[in-house]
Amino acid sequence: MAAPLEALDRVNLLVVTGKGGVGKSAVTAALGRLLAARGRATLLVEADPRENLHQLLDVDPSGGDLVSVAPGLSLQHVHSRALLDDLVRDKLKVGLLVNRVLQSPIHQHFTEGAPGLKETAVFGHILRLLQGHGLRAAPRPDVVVLDAPATGHGVQWMMAPRLVADVVSSGPVGHMATEIAALLADRRRCGVVVVTLAEEMPVEETIDLLDLFESRLDLEPELVVVNALYPPLPTSLADDDPVTGLWRHRRRINERELERLEVRWRGPRVELPLLPIDPGPPLVGALGRHLELGLRRS
Amino acid sequence: MTGHGTSLEVVVGAGGVGKTTLAAAMGLRSAASGLDTLVMTFDPSHRLKDALAVGDAARDREVEVDSGTPGRLDASLLDPRRTFDRLVERHSPSTAVRDRILGNRFYDHLAGNLAGVLEYMAVERLFEVARDGRYERVILDTPPTRQALDFLGAPERIVSFLDSGALRVALKPWFDAGGRLRATSRLGVLGRNVEGLLDRMVGLELLRDMAEFFQAFGPLYEGFRERALEVQRLLRSPETSFTLVSAPGRRRVADTLFFARKLLEAGLDLGLVVVNRVHPMVSEAGPEPQRADPGAQDGRHLLAWLGRRDREGVDELRALLGARHPLVDLPLLLEEPTSLEALDALGRMLEERVTNRRS
Repeated sequence: MAAPLEALDRVNLLVVTGKGGVGKSAVTAALGRLLAARGRATLLVEADPRENLHQLLDVDPSGGDLVSVAPGLSLQHVHSRALLDDLVRDKLKVGLLVNRVLQSPIHQHFTEGAPGLKETAVFGHILRLLQGHGLRAAPRPDVVVLDAPATGHGVQWMMAPRLVADVVSSGPVGHMATEIAALLADRRRCGVVVVTLAEEMPVEETIDLLDLFESRLDLEPELVVVNALYPPLPTSLADDDPVTGLWRHRRRINERELERLEVRWRGPRVELPLLPIDPGPPLVGALGRHLELGLRRS
Repeated sequence: MTGHGTSLEVVVGAGGVGKTTLAAAMGLRSAASGLDTLVMTFDPSHRLKDALAVGDAARDREVEVDSGTPGRLDASLLDPRRTFDRLVERHSPSTAVRDRILGNRFYDHLAGNLAGVLEYMAVERLFEVARDGRYERVILDTPPTRQALDFLGAPERIVSFLDSGALRVALKPWFDAGGRLRATSRLGVLGRNVEGLLDRMVGLELLRDMAEFFQAFGPLYEGFRERALEVQRLLRSPETSFTLVSAPGRRRVADTLFFARKLLEAGLDLGLVVVNRVHPMVSEAGPEPQRADPGAQDGRHLLAWLGRRDREGVDELRALLGARHPLVDLPLLLEEPTSLEALDALGRMLEERVTNRRS
């Protein structure tokens, strides 16, 4: 297997998945910082209904616009529903009818209910950006890092374009979905990063996720990031006052769950420490440094 | 409303905050107090399943837990798909209609994908067991949505979906006998454009499945609609109370407040707010022998920081919630409780903290 850092340097799209509460956004931001520092024009795309990344990077909320974070690093928050409506505007040329169509309950319910359409719209937006069609004002990104919503499984996101491509065989949407499905299946261009905690439920869910990626998509992530580990106890620490006891137990849970994860996942893995830093640029910077160190080691 | 004096406790909160474990602990204590109790959980860890001894046998049905409590304790795992299937079976006027729906490809997608179906099915199950009156108390653990708003809005959304013009339009024969899309004349140019667009967006084949599904589903609408309204009433009835579980730390305060406000706005009874897994307050300086060890000092510093962070979060949330909504915090335990004894201890601790707060 290629070194994970080389893999991250190569791809045009990185999809970061993980359940809520595991620090997925902080890891996304740290990955973005790292890639930008390595000289790649990096765009972070956030698709969760609630904006979060801007706080970690200390910039204004995106509200759908492109926000510059640092040289080579920018951020955009997207609403899948709005992107879907854009797609309608784009594909339906009769201007007068656009609004009535968009407001029509049939359109709302059918496109809402149609499997994979909203996810595909988000990927379609990313594809346009990567092809240089999206933003006139900004340079084309070398790599887009997608912070996928925490709800549902990452598998659902990765499967969506193929699902759409299967049922919509012709027309512009069908073509677009086929093109996206090809991008997502191309390991030279697209990679997946799974973020988890070394705790019981998150590891169970991660193992399920890895199984689903393999069985449904024949996909292996580039990297599994295990976040927020309690530090190892110094061997000299013998006396168990209550605080040391708690530390020892929580670290033991971390180690036990890391072992359980290792049985299922022998690929690249980076461990990030639980840090006494409030969410914000200093935390992102520190996580970025640990991430780079870990990537060089793994 | 429930008719048999069944009280309902709905445990809500973001994913990963320990809702399932708390629901199990509350269930055990309820049974210990002599009430026949059912805990309905969504997605317990393997070890919690082992502790409650509910394997796949408990999927979508009730299994007795060997709890040794004066009241009976049952547990059940929610399986939204099976609940949906059963609803379709119950409301279908004939086996032909039932088979048409269950065999429809769009139903397959809908049952797993339409926003709110999962959440709605959880409430449906709650309603089923509340109505049959076997239990004096039912504790429902809710699906792990980020804000859990989908869950609260689910009955409303189903009702509004069923009331919307979309269905009446969808019920119209879109396809002729040959399976070709008809231009819906009443909609005129708009209709043709919508169809043309949907064809290009969704694909004709799937569209046909969807139209067929809605037609097959037609006779079931009224039954579904009535139940959704009843579920709405059930959630607002005085016997139903919500327990909101939150992770500690100041960052979570905004999330928790937001959710509390949504509960109240929806006319629901917010009972208890539980801040779970709070790190203890710790002095920076450890015991004498540790002070010379930099590794020990770093760890100590981290734990002291975590303790302060969590304490600030709890204090801030308590101040913002005010006196009307009791808030209790539960400490981060050495191990996640996965035995009946540990669950019982957690449940007792919760009870004690609630009592102390009230006295």
